[in-house]
Amino acid sequence: MIRVFTLQLKRLRRRPFLVLSFFGLTVVFIMFMGGSQPGGSQQADIAVYPAQGEETGAWPELLGESERFTITELTQAEAEEAIRSGDRTIAVELSESNYRILTGVENELYPLIDSYVRQVFSEELRLREAEASGVGREDLEAALENPVLQTDTSYEAGGEGDFLYDPQLQVLFGMTLFFVMYTILFSLMNTASEKRAGTWDRLIISPLRKWQVYAGHMLYCWLIGVVQILIVFFLFDVAFGYPLAAQAGPLLLITGVYVFAVVAFGMLLIGLVRTPQQLQAAIPISATAMAMLGGAFWPAEIVSNVIVSSLKFAVPVYYAIDALKEMAIQGAGAADVLWNISVLLAFGVLLMGAGINLMERRS
Amino acid sequence: MLETEQLVRTFKGKTAVDEVTLYLEKGESVGLLGPNGAGKSTTISMISSLMKPTSGDVRIHGISTISEPQKIRKVLGVVPQEIALYEELTAEENVRFFGKVYGLKGEALKQKTAEVLALVGLTERKDERVDTYSGGMKRRVNIAAALLHEPELLIMDEPTVGIDPQSRSYILEMIRTLNREKGMTVLYTSHYMEEVERLCDRIYIMDNGRIIASGTKEELKQILSDEETIVVETAGEAAAFFEEAGRHEKVRQVVLTENGAKLMTAKGARLLGWLFQEAESRGVTVTNVNVQTPTLEDVFLHLTGRRLRD
Repeated sequence: MIRVFTLQLKRLRRRPFLVLSFFGLTVVFIMFMGGSQPGGSQQADIAVYPAQGEETGAWPELLGESERFTITELTQAEAEEAIRSGDRTIAVELSESNYRILTGVENELYPLIDSYVRQVFSEELRLREAEASGVGREDLEAALENPVLQTDTSYEAGGEGDFLYDPQLQVLFGMTLFFVMYTILFSLMNTASEKRAGTWDRLIISPLRKWQVYAGHMLYCWLIGVVQILIVFFLFDVAFGYPLAAQAGPLLLITGVYVFAVVAFGMLLIGLVRTPQQLQAAIPISATAMAMLGGAFWPAEIVSNVIVSSLKFAVPVYYAIDALKEMAIQGAGAADVLWNISVLLAFGVLLMGAGINLMERRS
Repeated sequence: MLETEQLVRTFKGKTAVDEVTLYLEKGESVGLLGPNGAGKSTTISMISSLMKPTSGDVRIHGISTISEPQKIRKVLGVVPQEIALYEELTAEENVRFFGKVYGLKGEALKQKTAEVLALVGLTERKDERVDTYSGGMKRRVNIAAALLHEPELLIMDEPTVGIDPQSRSYILEMIRTLNREKGMTVLYTSHYMEEVERLCDRIYIMDNGRIIASGTKEELKQILSDEETIVVETAGEAAAFFEEAGRHEKVRQVVLTENGAKLMTAKGARLLGWLFQEAESRGVTVTNVNVQTPTLEDVFLHLTGRRLRD
């Protein structure tokens, strides 16, 4: 196994372009897309304007208390013109006790801004209600700092409520897991090419065991995938300050099982296609489809179509992104994402079994 | 050393190899001769334990390669028909890798690598990547990779396909050296009759998955001991002439060639006079006539009614 593995590494040293290009693309896409997202160290600007015949009152000031947002006050006409001309994609209409969101196109800022404005409104209205019943605002705020009861809010992905979302992390995880599929699947093309070239048969009739030949190839692809993911995470965490607050151990674990599932999926593809050319065509189609369904390009939770939304459960990307988000945003540990790990492992085992079976039948 | 017993292999109901039984003694050089699609490569795949037969068995030193393939793999050296090499690596790296796979290491690996590269005449260019080599050089590395562990039995599946005459001659001479001087047992498949005739002590002729004849060159040619071949070359249209020749009582078979035809006749049939007379009466210009003793090609033709490269 080690002989086959080291041979693949030697071949990579001679032809590193493919792997390096996917690594480069990952970094470029994350920087390009993540850099234009609000969140993390960046501030998002929210345009607000008063509803017809009303004043914005204290709302702009209250909304501006968060470090993550800046507030720009406009008139209704200015806001509508900005949306119409495309200068802004979203604006918030403020009235005495309510708000409306004005947007021209669907965009990823909507859930973030809506969630934030709703939170500010509900807190302020609660305080006003208490004030109306005779309790002083200062007393109330002091009491709220030491509550009799504390409520922990937990997020349930796909549930009715909010979902875990950080635009920068979404891009980081999505693009990393998407491009690593290309790296792994195209690296696995070595296996398909070897079968065609005859070197595979040459190894099979050597004293090596068949499982050693398979394992050598798969270990190589697995390692390439894991290393790529970890380097990208490390780079964006340390060098670009992305808010990746996950612990190293669980991160490594979820990376390992995800890459295992993708390698197994690659083996299935090799088993299904007849030629490397067919494999070359199947890789982008399947990788892109899995990334779209699994939530690599946008949060899987915003998909409203029931059928499309259900399909996310059939792709490994979804479980990996979900686990990574929980770990990075909520600081979840390995035990908290045990379900995701188990599903990814199950994917790996099943796909690998089916793939090797098909490959063996074909040979 | 090697014996196969009633080897059968079917693919989707089609029989590719049909009850092939053959044997090789230690130190022998045996040819498996047959046209493309005769079942030679499938037979080789089963002998080398790459493919399991539908029925039958292969034994090397009495050990079944079907039930205990691992035990005989170090004994075998297989040169596949395709260039089974890592093209981005150098010749030396390829040979070293296959040496390691067969358990060689350290000084022994270094020494054997140098020896084998010298044997195939690539010492000077061992550090160049295989994808920069000519077809003939690649073929030589392809063979070198199978020789490093000094196999007792070398199985070669059409090792000279698609290369220039010079490289071909080099390879054939090398195989002859391995067999005659180093005592390596060789099973050589080809559809080039002259290669098999030059290299092999005994020959199996295969067609449509079956062994149709076997023996030494002389024994096989004995099949046609009562025949001779008249090669007639003509200029212009001569189809009717050869059709008439085919009807002659002493002509057993007529095979049309590019410039004329080959006539299989009984030995001493004395047909030349009749042929020239008939040609003249039909206005056919005979440009060349050659009376030959039978070749293996003629034997194959006699047995199958087809030429080896049809």
